[in-house]
Amino acid sequence: MIIHRLARLGRAIAVTSLLAFASAAVPALAQSPTEIVVWHAYRGEEKTAFEKVVAQYNEANAAKGVKVTTLAVPYDAFADKISAAVPRGKGPDIFIYAQDRLGGWIEAGNTVEPIDFYIDKKDKDRFIPTTVDALTYQGTLYGLPLNFKVITLIYNKKLLPTPPKTSKELVAAAKKLTDAKSGRFGLVYSYGDFYYHAALMNGFGGRVFDAQRNPVLNNPDNVKALDLLMRWLTVDGILPAEPSTALVTSLFNEGKAAMVFSGPWFLGEIAKGVDYGLAPLPTLDEAGGKPMRPWMTVEGVYVAAPSKNKDKAFAFVKYLTDTPAATVLALEGRQTPANKAVYDDAKVKADPVLEAFRKQVEVAVPMPNLPEMTMVWSPATTAMNLVTKKAATTKAALDDAQKKVAADVAGLRKH
Amino acid sequence: MATPAGALVHGRRFAAGVAVGVAAAGLLGALALRAARDHEGLLRAERTDVVTLRALTGVVEAAGGTGDGVRKGVAAFAAQAPELAAIRVVAFEGISLEASTAAADTGDKAAPRRLDREEKDIFDRGQRIRAAVETNRQEGGARKEEIEIRPLPSGGFGFAAPVELGGNVAGLVDVVTAPVSTRLGFGPGAALAFFLVPVALMLLAWRPLGAHRHLLAAVAVAGVAAAAWLYGGAAVRTLREDRSATEAAVRERMASSGAAATAALSAAGIEAPLDPQAWDADLFRRPLAIVAPSGIDAAKSAASFELEAGVLRRIVAGLAALAVAIALFAGYGQAATLFGILRKHREAYAYVAPAMVGMSILVFVPFLYGIMLSFTDSNLYNTNQPISDIWIGLKNYSAILGDFRVVTRAQDGSWMVNFDNFYYTFFFNVVWTITNVAIGVSVGLVLALILNTKGLALRPIYRVLLIFPWAMPNYITALIWKGMFHQQFGVVNQVLQIVGFHPIAWFDRPFTSFLTALATNGWLSFPFMMVISLGALQSIPSDLYEAARVDGATKWQQFRGITLPSLRPALIPAVILSVIWTFNMFNIIYLVTGGEPGRSTEILITQSYKLAFEKYRYGYAAAYSTVIFAILLMYGWFQNRVSRGTEAA
Repeated sequence: MIIHRLARLGRAIAVTSLLAFASAAVPALAQSPTEIVVWHAYRGEEKTAFEKVVAQYNEANAAKGVKVTTLAVPYDAFADKISAAVPRGKGPDIFIYAQDRLGGWIEAGNTVEPIDFYIDKKDKDRFIPTTVDALTYQGTLYGLPLNFKVITLIYNKKLLPTPPKTSKELVAAAKKLTDAKSGRFGLVYSYGDFYYHAALMNGFGGRVFDAQRNPVLNNPDNVKALDLLMRWLTVDGILPAEPSTALVTSLFNEGKAAMVFSGPWFLGEIAKGVDYGLAPLPTLDEAGGKPMRPWMTVEGVYVAAPSKNKDKAFAFVKYLTDTPAATVLALEGRQTPANKAVYDDAKVKADPVLEAFRKQVEVAVPMPNLPEMTMVWSPATTAMNLVTKKAATTKAALDDAQKKVAADVAGLRKH
Repeated sequence: MATPAGALVHGRRFAAGVAVGVAAAGLLGALALRAARDHEGLLRAERTDVVTLRALTGVVEAAGGTGDGVRKGVAAFAAQAPELAAIRVVAFEGISLEASTAAADTGDKAAPRRLDREEKDIFDRGQRIRAAVETNRQEGGARKEEIEIRPLPSGGFGFAAPVELGGNVAGLVDVVTAPVSTRLGFGPGAALAFFLVPVALMLLAWRPLGAHRHLLAAVAVAGVAAAAWLYGGAAVRTLREDRSATEAAVRERMASSGAAATAALSAAGIEAPLDPQAWDADLFRRPLAIVAPSGIDAAKSAASFELEAGVLRRIVAGLAALAVAIALFAGYGQAATLFGILRKHREAYAYVAPAMVGMSILVFVPFLYGIMLSFTDSNLYNTNQPISDIWIGLKNYSAILGDFRVVTRAQDGSWMVNFDNFYYTFFFNVVWTITNVAIGVSVGLVLALILNTKGLALRPIYRVLLIFPWAMPNYITALIWKGMFHQQFGVVNQVLQIVGFHPIAWFDRPFTSFLTALATNGWLSFPFMMVISLGALQSIPSDLYEAARVDGATKWQQFRGITLPSLRPALIPAVILSVIWTFNMFNIIYLVTGGEPGRSTEILITQSYKLAFEKYRYGYAAAYSTVIFAILLMYGWFQNRVSRGTEAA
């Protein structure tokens, strides 16, 4: 009997100690770090710099039980993946993408978390104001700006020692350097692409949407801008026909193009031997001396609306856009941060490329983040093609594009 | 002449059919009425609480949106409004909680204070409402709701409305109502007894009318119709009474909230006029103008009720049709036949049942949902609204099929093709299909004839190589071909330059752009045709050719007289199949030309994709897809007839 009891006691002790062990293990499990997942579309040196910044964050915050993991998603698939995964709660906690899809995500709902609540004026003032505007939709801020991209004037120093400051100087210099027969042009850029043309359009005070968010593609300023482009093309003859991006690159690399309007993506394609410089786009004498104002795309860092760790996610968003991290992205990732303080850094100041884009962004206009923008591209491209191939007058082509866009927008908004 | 026993079978079948039919209709009818009454209950809660909310918002706005006045006013209002469990007033400036009657907001959490992180959703709701008000104002319409309602787990509701100061939304009133039951019950149970009418009629009729099936059917139809008419009337009456009770409740609430607002204003020490009539409003804050403190506009109330009454009447009519269908199905003996078949082949049906369930869930449900979507104006902006609110009938179809402006005159007088037009895209789609199939068949057949040459060395290697394009994933092939047609770096233009031609901007003109897609798809489609033809060629008995040779037939005569007719049974189904594949060849068009230039090389399926995901018009895109389906259905019908013809031959 006693042996039986002892055995039972032994079993009881074993069970209790097992339970105690298990309960001790539970808090240990709970302390496993909170994982914050970030989706981005960076490659090459941008990715390396980004991952370095993330590693630094993880090191500093390991004690707080936060671990940020990154996932590089191919750029082409990125936006659709976000649209499909995030609203169903299957996506990341944070994602980084340009502002052009922002409006669509907000209208679809449950994708991007509004962050006005988290930040105050001081936080906002760290950034170049227009980059914050780019991530603001109907008065609400939805993300913090990380980097911006704008086009600027890139010129061959051998052909052109000093870049032009005004459109008159531009045309004069370009005419001297143009010899269409031998395939030399003073100015080469993808002017048929509406994105590039927007620099002229905005310079004239033109716009795609008015303050009431109605499409106004055929407003008089847009017509004037297109008229000036046609003068450059036909009267001044400083532009080549059908300038694809590939043609722009090859002409510039062969020393047959003195000036190019393009963005940071172009710099990687310039051949080794070409000595180039960057300068702000010229002012437009035809528009009363106002500067050309290119469209700016801004990479925003967004907190996903269904994320379960929004506070922790936002802490990382703030860190990533803050000066130390953004400086690393600028110097090692060769990106142009939206954080103003980065440009006070001595090394950044000494970098002519970063400085040039910093100057250009002063006059840049955020590309509209309205969902209706996707309806503009195709009609606008058609209009640009018709005009540059001289198949329609500027006014007629823009009227036609306006009609199409207005019909599409009305089709979406009616109710 | 039927025997009396045989005659009674008809009567029994009709009686049973009517009983089952009206039982189903009665049950569904009761459920429909319950749903309608629950909806009315929700509407009552919504309208009364909106009245209170708007009265309260008026007080907050009169008190300036912030400060002690607001707190005093809110406290006085809450004291007289037992239907509200908690009131919170938030000012956007400084993200501050200006007033709160919530139990949690006392002590060191008492207003005024900055909102906590846990309360972020209140602030976000306010911002959402502000954006909604501004959007509606900018567009001059009512697209986004300006009062947000959410059901709470407690059984109450959360209501939120904007606080407007000087024309700007400066804050938010967020209230939680006390738990309230919105269930109004099942409705007139007694009225269900009307469904006994047809059963009783059948019981009376089945013996005397035994042998006359059509007369029995007429009695069943008349009985069901009478029952539906009676029940429909009773149901609509019940709903109308519910609506009157709602109007009365709104009026009552208007009085009590008016008193609360007066008390609140005097507590806050403000003189401000009250406009109770405007409190009865929809969620866009547009006054309904049905209920006023002085009385109820009965005509307007009845007019607003007509829509619901119409829906209910249509549901009852549909249920009656269902009951009649069941009765006739049983009465004319179809049900008995069906059950007989099911019983006889029960094993076979048991085996296919899982597949049928899977098919219906994975294929038919999405398919029917798509068709339903095609009758709505569903788009990016209204995906959250119920289908009935965005129902537009056949408008999408008339917009697609009724637009014949294929060519338009440009301002300079030249003709321009409207590439967005359905008929242009359809025409292009047909040209695309015919050219592709022609290329696939001719190239495939020629290669098969070559491979079929007797004594050809290394034949297996050739065959594998020629099947290779087919084995590769077609999107990879598509991207490779797109690269080959690149204006500057593409191999096609490089070769052209070596030969001495100018490089061609392939994607700048509709015709050359079409050629790139055609080349890609031709490359992809010939292996299939080749394999089919090769198989058929090898099955032609060689003695046929020997006999022909003996008779002195030339090679060409042999080909026309023996080879082609023998290939026919194999080739025709292959052609039919590849027509369907090519017609909807999304990958190649989307990846190679992308519709460029200016949508001229779009086929119907890529156009529909772009309508949905570039223009965000989901309903319109669904209608477009349904039209594509209809086209292919017609083609399938045609194909069936043709292949039946070939089988017979």
